[in-house]
Amino acid sequence: MIDYTQFQKPQRYIGNEYNVVKKSHTDKVTICLCYPDLYEIGMSNLGLRILYGVFNQFNDVVCERVFMPGADYAKYIYDNNKKLSSLETKVSLDKFQILGFNFNYVLNFVNFLHILNLSKIPLKAKDRPTTIVLGGGIDNPQPLAKFVDVFFLGEFEDTAPIFINILKQYKDKESRLKALVQIEGFYVPKFYIESFSNNTYKLEKTYEYAQLPVKRVYIKDLNSSFYPTKWLTPHTQIIHDRIPIEIARGCPNQCAFCQARVTYWPYRQRSISTIENIVKESYRHSGYENFSFLSLSASDYTQIEELIDQTLDFFQSHTIGLSLPSLRVDDILGPLYKKLANLKKPSLTVAIEAANDSLRNTLNKKIDINSLFESIKVMKSLNLKHIKTYFMFGFPQETEDDLIAIGNFLRKVNQESCVALNVSINTFIPKPFSLWENVGMQPESVLLKKRSVIFKNLKNNRNLKVTMSYLKKSILEGIICRADSKFSSVIHRVFTKETSFSNYDDDSFLNLWYESMEEEGIDYRFYLDAKTNNFPWSFIQRTKDDVSYL
Amino acid sequence: MNIQKYPIKIKFYKKGEMIYFSQLDIFHVLERALRRTDLSIYVTKGFNPHVKISFSNGLKLGVEGEIEATLYFDQETSYETLKQKLSAQLPEGFDIIP
Repeated sequence: MIDYTQFQKPQRYIGNEYNVVKKSHTDKVTICLCYPDLYEIGMSNLGLRILYGVFNQFNDVVCERVFMPGADYAKYIYDNNKKLSSLETKVSLDKFQILGFNFNYVLNFVNFLHILNLSKIPLKAKDRPTTIVLGGGIDNPQPLAKFVDVFFLGEFEDTAPIFINILKQYKDKESRLKALVQIEGFYVPKFYIESFSNNTYKLEKTYEYAQLPVKRVYIKDLNSSFYPTKWLTPHTQIIHDRIPIEIARGCPNQCAFCQARVTYWPYRQRSISTIENIVKESYRHSGYENFSFLSLSASDYTQIEELIDQTLDFFQSHTIGLSLPSLRVDDILGPLYKKLANLKKPSLTVAIEAANDSLRNTLNKKIDINSLFESIKVMKSLNLKHIKTYFMFGFPQETEDDLIAIGNFLRKVNQESCVALNVSINTFIPKPFSLWENVGMQPESVLLKKRSVIFKNLKNNRNLKVTMSYLKKSILEGIICRADSKFSSVIHRVFTKETSFSNYDDDSFLNLWYESMEEEGIDYRFYLDAKTNNFPWSFIQRTKDDVSYL
Repeated sequence: MNIQKYPIKIKFYKKGEMIYFSQLDIFHVLERALRRTDLSIYVTKGFNPHVKISFSNGLKLGVEGEIEATLYFDQETSYETLKQKLSAQLPEGFDIIP
């Protein structure tokens, strides 16, 4: 056995969590869920846990996990000519039939190639005779189309039985892919050709049974859908060290910049009784000391008051911490206020996005600023940990006044309350499928100027903590999420320059991307300036919700 | 209100895969294992209530050996009940020494 003490955080590579599933591989469909980031980040992902549970429910399926190793462990694998192996049974990845990757963050795309390379698996889909790489959690799959065999678009829970049946019925890769491409939600890039002429992207199918347009899949009912109550409990700390209970999926609001609204469309709620059940079951199975209610917008949950009322006793009597992600201003002013005071120090999150009413209306973000200030007065007595607010800048409609207003707003909040105020100011990125996907991202020079206007008007205050997004990183995120299949050569080039796991906040790593784009002769402004309503991802059918809005 | 706490001393042996877990990790392993049992654990009554466990020694990461801990309960609990209920919840490589 390897002596793991030579690596940083050896806990990452052990795989002996409480409730871990270990099965024999003989005569089974073998799936390894791969997360292209470190253990403590990947283990905080709810989707990974849902899929792990869903797959392992089948007796004839083995589902295991692997995470991107740290730089030291990766070097050890290369130096000793070893292969990356799964956490559960320590079987190398090339022995699995299916490798399922989560692609929810674009700067992790390089890590995905590293995981394949560390397992001595060919990077390009066409070079792999047996292994099937399945990708999910992605909105625009085109930049990865050359590397991934099959993408799944949408929510997988209900499709899992069909998927497993196909894998049991067909044994070779080609016939498996041919069967999958006929099922709603699966996109197999090799059965399509992407072309670009006259400023228009066109996708044509080369296999007659392939679906076009490709449709996203969503589950109809959250109450009957699987929840991983047999919670994989790590023996070490992870980033979000709590059990998130998803109380609703989707968001009923229609903020113009929001991508998650479409990704998780439509808005569905879990009933209070189901939630109660999930809370009790997952506590019984894990003994976790922290829980949180998870939703894109918790305060839109229609019975949020009853929910808290009915679950609070359980949390308090077992001394379990509960955190609520985001609260509506009315909740603070209303009857919830007293109950919240009983919780372990709550924190309040308000996504304001724009300080001026007019710009906020343009963004379609509905928040009443006057009652917000009223609630801040109430909050003084609430023993809050902190208030968190979000702002966004870089909208084309924005005036200098809108930018200055951010600083004024923060000063006013600081004056009214003495609670710590954490502010994060992000750059607007026109993400695929958001209502403003066709708006275009502003040039770096303009963004820089706007950023400095905001900065100049921020005054030092010991209760104020501001984080601003790094422009170079935001622009890069914009490029990759909007790119087409040509961009895969850039991803590959970055992969060859960086030998193992890299910190995506690292300037030198970001520079590698810009360098590689230049070497590949790719003008990235092309992806960022959207002049038409036709995009690399236009072959994916839009949701009904979008159509009615536009 | 003065709730009495009932301490029980208990020894564990850390070996195998568990040697890669630090002393801080072991605290959480024990706390969660205790929470999974139906034993009435003592929770501190202060401003920030939490489960109380005291260790008499710590082990370096990567080292096999004994750890002695004191666990606290709200009610009189026998060592035998504790041992039987807790050992069912402990991960492999972290066992109660009889």
